[in-house]
Formats: sequence, structure tokens, C-alpha cells
Amino acid sequence: MATYIARRVLWGIVLIILVSALTFLFFDILPSADPAVLRAGRNSSPATIAHIRQELGLNRPVYTQFFSYMKNIILHFNFGYSFYSGAPVLGLIKDRLPATLSLTVGAAVIWLLMGIPVGIISAIKRGSILDRVSMGVALVFVSMPVFWLGLVVLFLFAKDIGRFHVFLGANTYVGLTSNPARWFGSLLLPWFVLAATSAAIYSRVLRGSLIEAMGEDYIRTARAKGLRERRVIWRHGVRSAITPVLTIFGLDVGALLGGAVITETVFNIPGIGRLNYTAIVQSDFPIVQGTVILAALFIVIANIIVDISYAYLDPRVRYS
Amino acid sequence: MSDPLFSVEDLRVSFHTDDGVVHAVDGISYTVQAGKTLGIVGESGSGKTVSSLTALGLTRSRRSQIEGRIMFDSQDMVTLEDDQLRQVRGNDMAMIFQDPLSALHPFYKVGSQLVEAMQAHRSLSRSAAKARAVELLDLVGIPDPKRRVVQYPHEFSGGMRQRAMIAMALANEPKLLIADEPTTALDVTVQAQILALLEDLQKRLGMAIIIITHDLGVVAEIADDIAVMYAGRIVERGSADEIFHHPQHPYTWGLLTSIPRLDNPRDEELVPIAGRPPSLINRPSGCHFHPRCPYVQEAHKRVDPRLEAVEGDGGSHVSACLLKTNVRTQIWEGLEAGREPESLQRMASASVGALAPPADASHLNLHGELESDAQLPGEEVQS
Amino acid sequence: MRGSRNLIALAVTLLLAAGISACGGSSSSSSSSSGGGSATTSSGVKAPPLKPGESINGQQLLGKKKGGTLTVLSNGDFEHLDPGSAYYALDYGIIQATARPLFSYPPNSATTLRPDLATTIPTTANGGITDGGKTITVHIRSGVRFSPPVNRAVTSKDVAFALERGANPNVGNAYWPAYFGAGSPAPLVGSTSASYKGGPLKGIETPNNTTLVFHLTKPGAAVFISALSLPLSAPLPKEFVGPLDKHAPTTYGTTYLVSTGPYMIQANSKGKIQGIGYQPGKSETLVRNPNWNAKTDFRPAYLNEIKFSIGGDATVIGQQVLKGQSSVQLDTVENSIVKQAYQQYPSQINFTPGSGDHYLTLDTQHGVFKNVNIRRAMWAALDRMAIVKARGGLLVATPGTHFIYPGVNGFDQAGGAAGPQVDFNKNVNGDLAVAAKYMKAAGYPSGKYTGKETTLIVVGSGGNGPAIAQIVNNAATAIGLHAKVSLVDQSVMYSKYCGVPKQEIDACPTAGWIRDFADPLSVLYAPFYGPAIVPTNNSNWSQQNDPAINKAMAKAALINDPAAHAQAWANIDKMLVDQAVAVPEDFDSEANIFSKNVAPVNMAWNEGLFDFSFTSLK
Repeated sequence: MATYIARRVLWGIVLIILVSALTFLFFDILPSADPAVLRAGRNSSPATIAHIRQELGLNRPVYTQFFSYMKNIILHFNFGYSFYSGAPVLGLIKDRLPATLSLTVGAAVIWLLMGIPVGIISAIKRGSILDRVSMGVALVFVSMPVFWLGLVVLFLFAKDIGRFHVFLGANTYVGLTSNPARWFGSLLLPWFVLAATSAAIYSRVLRGSLIEAMGEDYIRTARAKGLRERRVIWRHGVRSAITPVLTIFGLDVGALLGGAVITETVFNIPGIGRLNYTAIVQSDFPIVQGTVILAALFIVIANIIVDISYAYLDPRVRYS
Repeated sequence: MSDPLFSVEDLRVSFHTDDGVVHAVDGISYTVQAGKTLGIVGESGSGKTVSSLTALGLTRSRRSQIEGRIMFDSQDMVTLEDDQLRQVRGNDMAMIFQDPLSALHPFYKVGSQLVEAMQAHRSLSRSAAKARAVELLDLVGIPDPKRRVVQYPHEFSGGMRQRAMIAMALANEPKLLIADEPTTALDVTVQAQILALLEDLQKRLGMAIIIITHDLGVVAEIADDIAVMYAGRIVERGSADEIFHHPQHPYTWGLLTSIPRLDNPRDEELVPIAGRPPSLINRPSGCHFHPRCPYVQEAHKRVDPRLEAVEGDGGSHVSACLLKTNVRTQIWEGLEAGREPESLQRMASASVGALAPPADASHLNLHGELESDAQLPGEEVQS
Repeated sequence: MRGSRNLIALAVTLLLAAGISACGGSSSSSSSSSGGGSATTSSGVKAPPLKPGESINGQQLLGKKKGGTLTVLSNGDFEHLDPGSAYYALDYGIIQATARPLFSYPPNSATTLRPDLATTIPTTANGGITDGGKTITVHIRSGVRFSPPVNRAVTSKDVAFALERGANPNVGNAYWPAYFGAGSPAPLVGSTSASYKGGPLKGIETPNNTTLVFHLTKPGAAVFISALSLPLSAPLPKEFVGPLDKHAPTTYGTTYLVSTGPYMIQANSKGKIQGIGYQPGKSETLVRNPNWNAKTDFRPAYLNEIKFSIGGDATVIGQQVLKGQSSVQLDTVENSIVKQAYQQYPSQINFTPGSGDHYLTLDTQHGVFKNVNIRRAMWAALDRMAIVKARGGLLVATPGTHFIYPGVNGFDQAGGAAGPQVDFNKNVNGDLAVAAKYMKAAGYPSGKYTGKETTLIVVGSGGNGPAIAQIVNNAATAIGLHAKVSLVDQSVMYSKYCGVPKQEIDACPTAGWIRDFADPLSVLYAPFYGPAIVPTNNSNWSQQNDPAINKAMAKAALINDPAAHAQAWANIDKMLVDQAVAVPEDFDSEANIFSKNVAPVNMAWNEGLFDFSFTSLK
């Protein structure tokens, strides 16, 4: 197991370096705006631009830029500085991470709490009104754009601009440590919005896999043993059916930790997603690169965790 | 004869599917005495497994319809409350399944699956249950049970898995063990070991066994009685001796001639039954076996045979065939002597003139009508 | 996002798509609609609503109540808080409240300078302009002090230092070359040397702590004095800023900042703002500058605190401002919100005309548009009214007819709203007959282009870019051109295509220009002065290089009499129209929304953004 994990971690590191290299390459090849021009201001003299380009190291060959970037990360854990604000990228990321973390973890809890029971009930009561209604609702949520859903819930339920003044609305986020109650309140709507689609997807996936699992021979065995139905469903059915859900859960959480741009924008939560998005718009490459590495890191970690959980859940994996 | 431990009376099980109503079990009756072994034989789709699953209440669903009675320990398993039924399952009546790899949960250790079976029915401390699990594995002949008990099913060989299944079924010392194709997934040597084990356990524990199989050879050694099922019905039933020595139904003949036998010359080919089992949604008219019966006559396509006592045998030997008894005896003897199939078929058609429609043929065509017969309880034929 | 001071993404600036045009009607521009917000004074008297096209000069300075916190919501963030590099409308919102240049425009005047840090406006009469317009003497006020941790009094040396660092590449000031350095019509003495990278300059003398003497190489005093209204002239303490400027880019403005205005960015005891009052992409907080002395300033500074919250969706922000309390939206108001506010909250929206213009640049050096008559035909064919509608209708735009736009000196002399009376300019809905006439004159007897060349049109893809691309494409096709339209990101459009002459982009329809100050030079010089063409980051997208026009510009830049100066530039405007170096699309007006209890004061000289040193709560 240890060597397995070590192998996965090594591969993850290689992957992250590869992703970084690709980001450099894309930034170099694709017709993005010239960061030196943007930084210099739009009527700057060519001399100023040339100077800035040199100071930012943009006139060096792309591989040299890449190597010095990697060197700085490995030797000094320095991810560079924003072309615009001059702020250290690592500091910006540290500053934004709590919001993204709050958003992701809360949403994940909600979508699991919503998606899993609905999926199970739908699978068990397959074909019932309950099943049809919940799968219908799920389909609606799956096809609803997050952006639109976000606006709808704000215009319906936000205290400031909603029709019903229920929840804290956009731009109310504060850090957990500064005011836990407000942190929680401000995140309720975004959590719901972010969770809605996932809950719908999870309930549908779980329903499908549980229906399949409940048709397996070992379920018949479990029933033949005289186990209570609840135990049959949870210990024998759900336990097997949960693995595909786990896979998408790992990927989803990994990806969300890389930033949920739309939700962060609609609710104005200062997270990684918005940092990344703004940086892309501004061609603020160091931030783009930093957030890309972060996202890749999260996805790699999530994958490793998923793999380890697999081994935990399914003993057959451990030995193969 | 004492009251049977287990008796099935005119059991009908049908499933509503998108394609139509599947008549999986269509009015079957049989009994099993305590400590005895019944073999239920038939091809897949003959309804043999469904009937046993129904006994355990495992075919109950919104889409299934179950009629008739299944008496076990003076309780009707058809009408029993779910929870009471659950208490019988795995306790007094246990079942083992065909493919032990898929029938055991891949994620749990064999021991914990055994413990779970015990704890479902009795309060037992964890350690006591574990000790008993080791005991059970030992009982079914798994070497080094202490090590094996903490292993996962995929670490077991096929034969060992089936032994583990059996151990699990025996956990609560059932009065009736239903073994559904217990040896099909296993190779020949292991098959014999498992059968020997079942026989041995029966002797030691005194339980009744129902063995469900498509292979008459499997039950040859251990079954006391045999019921042959075809298309949801019992087409012939009798003691093992009667079935093997005076088989009455062309389907039984087919099953018998397809048993690989050690005393057969190697070059003699096995004779499988031609054709495929019929659809249980749109069943053939008349005798359901007629599309595949080598001795079919025109009338057989219209008249639905009923189970009738075989002349000359004890009343327990019944079969549902429209051929006359003496013709059947001649054909079977011909088959045993290895005569040409064509000549046997001629023999059947020669007798057709002699075959008058049964006196109550019109009655037989009435659907669903039961006929009570004091001498042959529960053995009905209907169209 | 608001436009930057110059060649920008004005398509993005005015994101107002179709919808709103119904409000403005289609008949006439300025008088047909009674649009605009009316604000209420603290005494309850309704201020007259500003109508589209109406001059904001003379806007009532509302509000007298002191105190309170204003929340400023903005989708986009500031770019630079350092007055040395700020060159973006949004940034000016903070600069106006924190930094004191030598001269300023009060919020209710787009054209009249007033002294800010300086005591008076230098004129020949008061002895401030001497040597025929080559020497300018400026006296600064005493009693102005830097915010903590610097705390000391401002001297003339601090102004000199601030100006000189404009040439420092680590600061990256965008307009130093154009108004003070080598690219200027009248450079400061010593600034034209290629090796000059900031530091003491011969052309700037500080004979004492309150006096500055500027020496120009040419008599360009008028423009030079106007240029001293730019943030670059706001004083900075060398002992504090100098070490920070050694970083490339400087960390002054991103990590540290000191202030001379009534407000300062919240900072720690060392003057560090980053992570405190400045959280890039998240928030900025302005608090009172304890060292500010109201007696030295014309700014009333009613508010106690101004909190900027960055990010969020524009429609949500709009709702929050309209339904909420004590808040305003800083960047461009969403089209749907303008419409909603105009109909449901008329007292919570106002419009500031003269916020900029848009035009379609035509490459005069390459391709089909080398031919002046094809350029005129393109002008005639373009449906400018359709573009106005695409930009949001007559509330926020009127058809462009020439290049000096409303609110800039010389606008009336150059033709006013109707523009020069040339036939290709007459019909704002496009006139294909006139277009055909010019195509014939260009040598295409059929009235349509019959050549093989492709006309490359590059458009910023944001906002209404695609709609405008379509309208321009229609015009080009109508005169027979083989148009090929490319939609790219706005920043890519200018930094990789339209601003790079060798790309030979034939037409760029999402160009715009915003004055740096009220002088017409700041509207015409950079985008059309031939000798200023550079290989990258070029501003003269039309590559206008007509010797007569270039000569007239160089000459007009040095005319110091205000009336003659304005007239000279109006004449240049007419020459540009005659040569059809670009096709004016529209003159813009900016919509601003604010909460019920906000008494807004907007900067007429800066795209109508809120002046936070004048705005108050009711």
C-alpha cells in the first residue's frame, strides 16, 4: 500500500510539473494580450514597455522562464508576484483559499446529504411517484445553469434584493474566524446553488448504481440470510453502489477547490476561482500559473484520496 | 407418513414485465419430508429457482403475483408478514446459491458475513459469533479456518467459496436447506466433494434439503425424490428410483440421456434436448413441451396434459404426458437400448390411433380451474 | 469596467445592449427624452434632471451632511493606486480623494481648471507664464501634509520628485512621454534624452519649498498646465517612495501608499496597505487622512469612510444599490439595470454626457483604406444610429459626427452635435447613394469595390462588440468590400492587433478615446498624430500621417491663447473629418446608479464617476 501511494504521489508531482509547463507553453503560443503592454498602461512608450518586459522576464525564452519559475518554487517556495498588484501569488492564494474551502466543503456536505438519500430512496422505490418526481426535479437541476440559478435564488431569497427576505445575499461573505454566524449565513445560498447540480447528478448516479447493485446475487444472499431490509440496502447495496459516486465526488471536490468562478462571482465570494478568472482576463500570468498549479494539486490529491478510499472500500483493489 | 416439513400447494408466481406477464411458476405442488432430499430438475427458465425463492419470500415485489400455499412449520410462507418471513429466512430455512463468487459480498470478510448471518437471528456476542464462524468453516471442511475466517471471498477458491456459502446457510442450523445449483459453477471433482459434503451434513444435522439443478446427474446420488420442471410446471415427479428407472416424460428422457455417464462408451454422444425452453409470456398451446418433443402428435398441440399417476408404480410417481403408458415404456426401453430415434418416433405415431382424447379434455382446457383429488393432493394439471 | 484614459475597450465600457433604446426614442438626440435621474438635495428640493446630451457643467453639488460610510460596489478592480501609474477611470475615483495634483477639475466642471495643491493657475497676467510660454512658475499651498507614517509638510520638491518618477520605468507612467517627455509638443528641458530614466531634471526647478519653475523646450504652457492636472503631479515623499521605486515594478501603490487628500487607504503604522486597506480583487477601504487640513482644500469630504467591494455580478450589484442603502455602483451599470432604474427608480440614476467617444479606425497606410474616397464611402455607408442602439440607445450615446466630443474645448467650433456639413457625414443612418458616389470617385464606376483585397476588421468580443461588428460588416459589404471580421478579446485586440501597425488591420470599430483633460489636444493628438506612430502599443490606429495635419497639430499645440487654441484644434478636427481617417460612431454618456440615501456628486471631467470627496449621505 505504501509503495502504491508513493507511486501515486510521484506521478502526481510529475503531472503538476507537466501542467505548469503546458500553461507556460499555452500562454506563450495562444494570442493572449501582451502583459507588458497591459502593465505599462495603454499609451506607454515602447521604451517603458520594453523595460517592463525585461523586468518581468517576458523577453527570455519560454523554457528559461519556466525553469527559473520552477526553481523559485522548489528552492524558495516562491510562486512569483502579480504583474498588476505586485502582491505575492502565494499570499493571494492563501488569502483566497479559506473562502473557496468554505464554499466547497459546505456545498459538498449539502449535496451528499441531499443526493445520497434521494438516490437511495429513488432506487429502492424505483418507478414510484416519489422516484419519478425526485428524478424529474433532479433533471431540472442538472440542466439549470449555475449562474442563472444563483441569480434566481438571490432575487427570490436574499435579504437585500430578494422577494422574500430570508437569507444573506451576495457580497456578505466574511471569514469563519471573524464571525462564524455570518460566515454560515452568508454561505447558505451559495452552498445550495453549488450543491444543487451536484446533488441532482449524485442522486441520479447513485440511483443507477444502486439499482444495479440491488440486482446482484449477494443482495439476494443477504436477504436469504434474513437480514433486515435496511441493513441489506445500506451494508450490502449502498456500500457497493457508492464507488462510482466516490469517483465523481473526488473529481468534483478537487475541481471545486481549484475555484468555483461562477458561484464566487454571483455571490461575490473572494475565492480562488475569481482570482484565477480575473488574472486570465488581465493576462496576469503569475497568478494564472499559481492557481493552475493549485487546481492541479487539488485534483491530484483528490484522485489519490479516491484511490486510497477505493482500496479501503473494495478489498479486491488492494491486492490487484 | 408424518406431515411433511415443507409442502408447496398449487403455487403460481407471475411477474408483470414491460413485455407482458411472465408465468414463471404455474401451479406446482410438492412436499419434502423432514430429513429427506428433494431434487428439482429442469432447464433454466423452468421456474425451479423461482419456486424456491418464493418459499423464502424473495420474489415478493410490486410486480409479482403469488398464489397458492407454501407450508413450512405450519406457517404459510405466501401470506406470512414480511418481518416474520424474514425471521424464518436464514434461520429455519436457508438457501445457498449457484455462483458463490457473486453470491458472497466482495467487500466483506467471509467471517463477518457468517457472523452477520448468525446475528440476524440470535443475540450472540461478537467473539462467540466469531468462534462459531471458525467452527462452521471447519464443519464444511475448510482447512485452516482461523486464517480463512478473516479473508475475503476473492481469496477463496471456487469450491471453498461454496463451502463458505454452505457454512453460512448452516449458521443457524436450518431445518430446510435449499441449494440452488450448488455445484454448477464448480469443476467436476469439486462438484462431487460438495455433494458429498451436503449428504454428510444432512446425516449429521438431520435437515431436509432441496437441491435445484439442471443436471439430473447431480441429484442421482443424494435425492430421495425428484421433481422435473418444464415451463413453470412439474411434468414428472417420483422417487429417485422411479425417475431413473421408469421415466415417463419425454423431457425427463431428454434430461437422462444428456447426463454424462461413466459407464457409457466414450464415442457415444450425449443427446441434448433439441430446441430452446419456451417463452413464459406466450407459452405453447396444448402440451407446453410439444414444440420440442420428438414424439409429438397433432393432438398434443391442442390438449394440455395433467399430472397423472403412473400405472404400475406407487401413487407417488406422476407424470403429465399425453402418450399412452405402454408406448412410453416402449420408447424408454428403446432409448435405453440405443435404438434409432426415427424408429421410436414411428412407434409414437403408430400409437396415435389408440390415443383417445381424455374423457375430460374439455375440462382441461378451462384455465385456472382446480381439481381436487384426494389421492393426489395438490397435483393439478391445467391449461 | 470603465474605460481607461485612452485607447480602450469602450465596447466594454458601455455594455448597454439593445433594450434601452426604446426609452430614448429615435427621432432626435438631446431633447426628445427627459431622461436622467433627478436627485434630491438634503433640503428636499428636486435637482433638475440631467438630460442626455446636456452639459453637466453647473451640476449642483448636493449634500451637506457629514459622516457615514459609503459602500462602493464594483465588478472590476482598480488597476493602479499609485498616482504615478494610475491611468484608468476607476483609479481616478480613488486618486481624486487621496492625492492632490497641482491643478484639478472640480466635479461640476469638465472644462475649467482650478488650483488644487497650487495656489493659483499660472497665467501671463499673474506672471506664472513667462518666456513666451516656455517657463511656468507654480506656487504651492502651505499646510498640506502627508498622511502617516510620513506626516511632514509637502514641499515643492515632493512635486518635482513625483513628476520626475514619471520617467522611471519601474513606475511605468503611460503619459509622461506624451505631455512631459520626448513625445510631447513641448518637452521639459532635459527630458528628451533617451537615457533619462527619472531623477533630477533640468527643466524642473524648486527655488524654495513652495515654488516650482518648469522650463519647456518650446512654448507649450497651455497644454502643459492642463497636463499638471494629471495625477502624476500629486506630491510624493522621496524618502518613503524612492526605496520602493527600486523594485521592478515599484511596490509603491501596491504595497505601500501615502496620501495628501482628505482620505487615505487604510494602512498600518508603516504605511503598508496591502492586506489591510487594499486587498487586490477583494476590497479597498478609504478612511480619513488625519493630516488633512480642510482649510487647504476645496473638497468638502463629507463621508467618514468609503468601502470598495470588488467583484460580483453586475445585475446583482445593480439591485443591491437600487434597493439598498448607502451604496453606489462604481463601474458600468448593466443595461437591464439602467432600464429598470430609469423606469422604477428615476431619482437613483443620473447620466453624465461627454464621457468619451467611439470611432471606427481605418488604416490610412495599407489596404483599401489608403484611398481617401473609400474611407469617405465607408463613413457614408455606416449606420451610426444602429451603433448608438447597439451601445444602449440615446440615453447613453448619440451619433458621433466628428472627433472632439462634447465637454471638450473646441467641440462647438468643430461643428457641435451636427458636425461638419460634409455629405458623407450628413445621414447618421447611413447613406448608400453618397457612399456609391465616393466609390465612383475612388475609381469604381459601379459604385462598389471590385478589387480583390480582403478588408480585415478586428473587434473586441466583449459586450456589444459582436453587434457592432455586424453593423460595420454591413457597411463594408454595402460598398463591395470583402470584409473579414475577427472577434478577439478586447485586450488582445489592442495589444496584438490594432496597436501593432505591421499587422495591417484595416478597420477597428471598438476604438475609443477619453480626454486626459479638457484640452482638445488630449483627444486628437495621441490617436492621430503621425510622428507618434510606434511599432507596438501604437495609439494612432488609423496611422494618420498626413503632413498637413501633422504640421497643424504641432503648431496648434503651442498656441497658448485659449480661444485661438480651441479654434486651431477645431480646424484640425475638420481636416480629420475631411480625410475620413476614422468614422465617428457615437458620443457617450455614462449612467450611474446610487441608493436612495446617497447624494451623488459625479466628476464631469472623468466619465461621470462619483467624486467621493464630494458625495455624501442624506
